[in-house]
Amino acid sequence: MREGRHGAALIDVRSVSKIFQSDGATVKALHDVTFGIAAGEFVSLLGPSGCGKTTLMMILVGLASADSGEIRIADRRISAPFTDVGIVFQNPELLDWRTAIENVLLQIEVRRLPVQEFSGQAKALLARVGLAGFENRFPAELSGGMKQRVALCRALIHDPGILLMDEPFGALDALTRDQMNLDLQHLWLEKRKTAVLVTHSIEEAVFLSDRIVVMTPRPGTIAEIITIDLPRPRALDCKDTPKFVAFTGHIRKKFFDLGVLANE
Amino acid sequence: MNDRAQSSASLPMLQKALAWTVRGVWIAPALSLLGCLAAWEAAVRYFDVPIYLVPAPSQIAGQLLVSYPQFLQATFSSAISIIVGFGLAVIVGIPAATMMIYSKVFRRSIYPILLTAQVLPKVALAPLFIVWFGFGLLPKVLMTFLISFFPIVIDSLIGLNSVRPESLLLLRSMGSTRWQAFWKVRLPTALPSIFGGLRVAITFAVVGTIVAEFVGSDSGLGYILVVARGNLDTLTVFAAILWLIAMGFLFYFAVEVAERLCIKGRAARRSHELGAGL
Repeated sequence: MREGRHGAALIDVRSVSKIFQSDGATVKALHDVTFGIAAGEFVSLLGPSGCGKTTLMMILVGLASADSGEIRIADRRISAPFTDVGIVFQNPELLDWRTAIENVLLQIEVRRLPVQEFSGQAKALLARVGLAGFENRFPAELSGGMKQRVALCRALIHDPGILLMDEPFGALDALTRDQMNLDLQHLWLEKRKTAVLVTHSIEEAVFLSDRIVVMTPRPGTIAEIITIDLPRPRALDCKDTPKFVAFTGHIRKKFFDLGVLANE
Repeated sequence: MNDRAQSSASLPMLQKALAWTVRGVWIAPALSLLGCLAAWEAAVRYFDVPIYLVPAPSQIAGQLLVSYPQFLQATFSSAISIIVGFGLAVIVGIPAATMMIYSKVFRRSIYPILLTAQVLPKVALAPLFIVWFGFGLLPKVLMTFLISFFPIVIDSLIGLNSVRPESLLLLRSMGSTRWQAFWKVRLPTALPSIFGGLRVAITFAVVGTIVAEFVGSDSGLGYILVVARGNLDTLTVFAAILWLIAMGFLFYFAVEVAERLCIKGRAARRSHELGAGL
């Protein structure tokens, strides 16, 4: 029921390939990648580093170009950056001369939306992720997890159709990461954005996703697309359930088969 | 009653002053400076050094008191040249660096000229400037501009290029224009580096003006220096050097104040604290 009219996905990836040239050598980053993402769906791109998942994410919203194939969003071919989007990178990318709330409002300023009207929402959003009272702190005064929360608020303040996250919690400690996963799920259940998460954590992908696109390294191709039908909201102890473990085990085995992991 | 209120009001100030002293913010440099002056004075008196070689600090101080109107006027003349030359270097240098960032053609065509102008010892140009522009303000300003231009351009270039690519991707996803990206991210990111260039450039600017005044001028501290040296008036030379030092400090601190006003929220202080001197 998630799929839109004509049964088409919101984001339609059609046989996308990408080649990088460096020092005369050509590296095939992506090869013939085809899949769709439905509106309101949470999809993870899971794979080892260097499998082109970040490149794929950039191509998804027109921030990078594909060498062949095409991306369609809501049935329109993407040839320039698609701006109805919020992005979170692994590095929070906060501007260190702006306070937390000013960093969130950068999104509003650049889009030439009324900053005054959005500042209340920005404050509420920051409070929603546990940063009440930290609005006027500079990034240098915030912890890594707090900075990433500010970055998440900046990606959501303009209520975008699509939320992209490129290993957003990769630099955080395990406990903070668990908490961020919980908070992200909460926010996502509230707002039901179409979300794309790039990650190399199998657990994180299973915990957060509706579907996981498992990718192979060099060239990046789709090894398998797995539907995660664990009930939501998922609590952290859901990670101990047999079903969860079956998913992670299955994906780990897949990486063994692909040669990404090896026991020897 | 009134008395008590007053003393309680001045108490925190007193404590603060005491804290400063205890921390040695003023006392250490003041003592070291005084020590140097005392040693100098003692040495001159003990060895009976003639005044045309090395005058004593007390004699220099006397000279400073007697002839300060003349020095003030000369300083004013030099300062105008420094301000105009340095100002021009900023006004031209930062936009030039900006254009070099955005246009590869401009960068490639301007870089050889820039480098040639820097490698060439500018003192060698000074006699030519006199031939072309005479003894007025113009040759001084030009020399000051030329000598302070390079560090501003180079450090601005480094700063403007230090924007993280992800920041720019983020801006593109917001539909940012080049104008917005420049004013909201690129320029603020570059500011610490630009100010690094300005600090170097302002000290160069002082040198530029003085060199121009050395070679050919009818006013300024450099001119006083040359004339005094010709008369073997070492006392005036030392006094002029002191004025130069004071002026140099003043300009340098002006740049530092501007930097503090422009840059906020930086992590420098915190990293210094946490680094405990590392």
